[in-house]
Amino acid sequence: MIVVAPKPKSEPKKFKADFWKTKDFKVSIGEIVEKEGGISEEKTPMGPTPKPNVTDLRSWDMKLLGRYEPFYAPFCDMCCLCTFGKCDLLNKKGACGIDSEAQQARIVLLACNIGTAAHAGHGRHLLHHLIEELGEDYPLDLGLNIDIEAPITRTIIGKKPQNLADLDKTLSYVEEQLSHLLSACHTGQEGSSLDFESKALHSGVMDDLAREVGDIAQIVALNMPKGDGDAPLVEMGVGTIDNTKPVVLCIGHNVLPGSSVMDYLDETGQEEDLEVCGICCAAIDISRYNDRAKVVGPLSRQLKFIRSGVADVIIVDEQCIRTDVLEEAQKKNTAVIATTDKMCLGLPDMTDKDPDLIVSKLLNKEIEGALILDPEKVGEVSVKVAKIIAPEREKLKLLPELDEVQKMAAECTECGWCTRVCPNSKPMMEAVIAAKEGDFSGFEELYLNDVCYSCGRCEQECERELPLMSMLAKVGEKLAKTEKFNIRAGRGPVQDVEIRRVGAPLVLGDIPGVIAIVGCSNYPNGGKEVAEMAKEFLERNYIVVATGCGAMSIGEYLDEEGKTLYEQYTGDFDARGLLNIGSCVSNAHISGACIKIANIFAKKPLEGNFEEIADYILNRVGACGIAWGAYSQKAAAIATGFNRWGVPAVVGPHGSKYRRLLLGRTDKKENWKIKDLRTGKVMDGEPAPEHLIYAAENMEEAIVMTAKLCIRPTDTGKGRQIKLNHYIDLYKRYHGRLPPDIHLFVRNEKDIPITYKKDVKEILEEVGWEPREIPQEPSLMGMGGD
Amino acid sequence: MANERVIPWQPTVIAGPKQALLVTPETAELMIKKAKRPLFILGPLVKEDPLLTYATKIAEKWNLQVVTTADAYKPFNDKGLNPTAYGVVEIVNLLKDPEWQGVDGEGQHDLVIFMGCIYYIASQGLSSLKHYAPHLKTLTICKFFHSNADASFPNLKDEEWFKYLEKMGEVG
Ligand code: SF4
Ligand code: SF4
Ligand code: SF4
Repeated sequence: MIVVAPKPKSEPKKFKADFWKTKDFKVSIGEIVEKEGGISEEKTPMGPTPKPNVTDLRSWDMKLLGRYEPFYAPFCDMCCLCTFGKCDLLNKKGACGIDSEAQQARIVLLACNIGTAAHAGHGRHLLHHLIEELGEDYPLDLGLNIDIEAPITRTIIGKKPQNLADLDKTLSYVEEQLSHLLSACHTGQEGSSLDFESKALHSGVMDDLAREVGDIAQIVALNMPKGDGDAPLVEMGVGTIDNTKPVVLCIGHNVLPGSSVMDYLDETGQEEDLEVCGICCAAIDISRYNDRAKVVGPLSRQLKFIRSGVADVIIVDEQCIRTDVLEEAQKKNTAVIATTDKMCLGLPDMTDKDPDLIVSKLLNKEIEGALILDPEKVGEVSVKVAKIIAPEREKLKLLPELDEVQKMAAECTECGWCTRVCPNSKPMMEAVIAAKEGDFSGFEELYLNDVCYSCGRCEQECERELPLMSMLAKVGEKLAKTEKFNIRAGRGPVQDVEIRRVGAPLVLGDIPGVIAIVGCSNYPNGGKEVAEMAKEFLERNYIVVATGCGAMSIGEYLDEEGKTLYEQYTGDFDARGLLNIGSCVSNAHISGACIKIANIFAKKPLEGNFEEIADYILNRVGACGIAWGAYSQKAAAIATGFNRWGVPAVVGPHGSKYRRLLLGRTDKKENWKIKDLRTGKVMDGEPAPEHLIYAAENMEEAIVMTAKLCIRPTDTGKGRQIKLNHYIDLYKRYHGRLPPDIHLFVRNEKDIPITYKKDVKEILEEVGWEPREIPQEPSLMGMGGD
Repeated sequence: MANERVIPWQPTVIAGPKQALLVTPETAELMIKKAKRPLFILGPLVKEDPLLTYATKIAEKWNLQVVTTADAYKPFNDKGLNPTAYGVVEIVNLLKDPEWQGVDGEGQHDLVIFMGCIYYIASQGLSSLKHYAPHLKTLTICKFFHSNADASFPNLKDEEWFKYLEKMGEVG
């Protein structure tokens, strides 16, 4: 039984529920009044857009797209979607009449839809299973400190979900919207790039909902940490895996098969006998369920870890798994079990067969692998197979010896193609040439920090068919032993009390921002840069929240004392807090936290009130995402969802291949006009945030841009000083001078950071700066687009 | 592989039938000579010597307005080029707007010369300009063939590339 395991792995923090009430905490700045907690549900009127259809939030989208115009960078000039094609869209229209811009936007929508479908399909699968096990009425209890559960659902659907059946209804709505959105991608439907973009934004918010449903369902049903800042530290890294024991590896995103392995081990008293580990979000979610599960690391580890042969059984579920996993595993005599309808790998469906029969067929190689769609059976079969197969596999001999690596290297013709096809042009050929002489340092450099993220493209290209990934894995073997890190188990949502604590300093700017480090591991220079960025912002008092591969990469960095950032910083949602929120689906709690700020702190009603909430977040909540290695369609949907709520994101250089960014133009003053809702006056605003989604060429650029994108029009003078201080400081570090656009963010002299007063004033004088009126309630509502 | 010098450095950036024209330093110089408002964009891959000096000499010889991307500003500013710093996507976004008045405010540029930006993001930027900036031409003088540019150096070994750059920066 995998679902009823109510053994809390660590006590949630106890906050006195009535603490804030008894203090009668009251801050009043402008219209922001906070008193006595959130808004009670009954009093909340329904806003204008419950369950919005595809076009219902279009006016908001057009406001965003007017300010942050789509910037298109076609990845391909052609379209090959229908049999009219291929059409060459370079300065021409296609046979259906579509132009290049609309085509890019269509692909963006398609990508978002694929991402949303992946999360919705994942959520549907989880929910279906949990309802079967626990019943529709199973209540959603996220613990005492979370009253505003499901802020996304409440805002979009207009109703607080009470039980699994309510989650089911939310998902049905998502599925309905998704079918409309996908249909818009068909030939001869939408023709306007901006309308495609509006649909993509809608898809992003549908993705938000799907993720929220998925994560809440697994948190309540599998008793994962409920907003616990003290969630346990979990072992991470290849070096933490005891490969003298049988090893079961889970790859993907669905917790059910992995959690069933943990349950089976517990039930049969074998928890010490096997190692269960994971790659990608499956690792994060299994370790949220049971902290004995180990995290191998982000996606960048996949191929080299499979090649290392450590795993006796590989369980694949869904999303971001190598589609040649079966072929790769077979080379290592590793057994493969596929567990979802998303990825069947051509394997026979053994779901209804007796577990012992499946075990014997796998061991006797009567079947190449097994498709088992019943998670509980997966637990039993994988453990039994691993135990029998492990002693037979003689793991240590599975990789070539170092002298063999050298011999293979000697065959290299130095054609250079391995380096050319490498997505990051990493010097694979140089590493091979050095290895000819027995010098493996080139391989070591590629191995460490996943500078080579083991995509295997070089190996595919090699004219001598050298097994470059196996050579890399061999050289890395001894380094891997030292890879012992930890990561805080994914904590889930941010608590209401935490929001109350930081709402004021965040909106006023005293805490300079919330940095959300999310997404996959398609990094330009390995995972270390992600940890460096996290460290930079933590040291500067920002709140850093992380999910998925980003959260894992942060944990792979050790300081001089051998400590990871998770050991150095608290897991609380507060200045200098480093929070592992969880897996990809947990990203919902990051937008969720921003929504909660609008609700708890500013008393904005949520139900059916999307536009007002997004407008609040865009103008007031200094949050910015960094998706440094974003590669997937899911990451596209996640970022687009953030964007529609008014949260900007910085992606790495590979992010430019998503084909579309949303960039602001500071030279177009009219684009930044806002309405002061207090006075009704339309007035000049400021480019804050300047962009909605931005691709940086390198880490240095990303850090500076992220600091800048945390500026918001409502910062107090003191808050603005703090934010500008960080912006100037970082800009100066990498450019050797003050940012030339600093005058755009100085509203009056009170905004000038004291440390840089003289220099800033010089710039202000040079450009003929004049103090500006500060809006009290800056808003895009009532402006254009309507 | 046949014609290796004009297969894009990362071969999969090939976007369609239109390919960049392969240029030598001489043709590249002709393009610059013909241009009325050329702009030189320098990225983080050329912020160290000897490339820093090669690029500086080219900028000086042709009296080019310079934009740096990522963190390339400081070294080129120290060289006295008085560059303007932008993110590579920001400057491309400005260049594709026919109304934009250029880095000096005196009108949109008609030729953009790229050097030292990270290959694949540069390729995306060049694609953007290829599609949406018919008012200007693009030229890349990296050691990589960029099929999305209008004109590009072929794939070059370092020594060859340095010779090309030296030629373009030679005065007299
Ligand atoms: S969908 Fe349109 S552009 Fe694409 S191949 Fe068909 S006709 Fe051509
Ligand atoms: S595996 Fe991929 S990332 Fe690693 S060197 Fe080869 S091509 Fe580059
Ligand atoms: S592709 Fe193969 S033969 Fe060519 S340089 Fe790389 S390792 Fe050597």
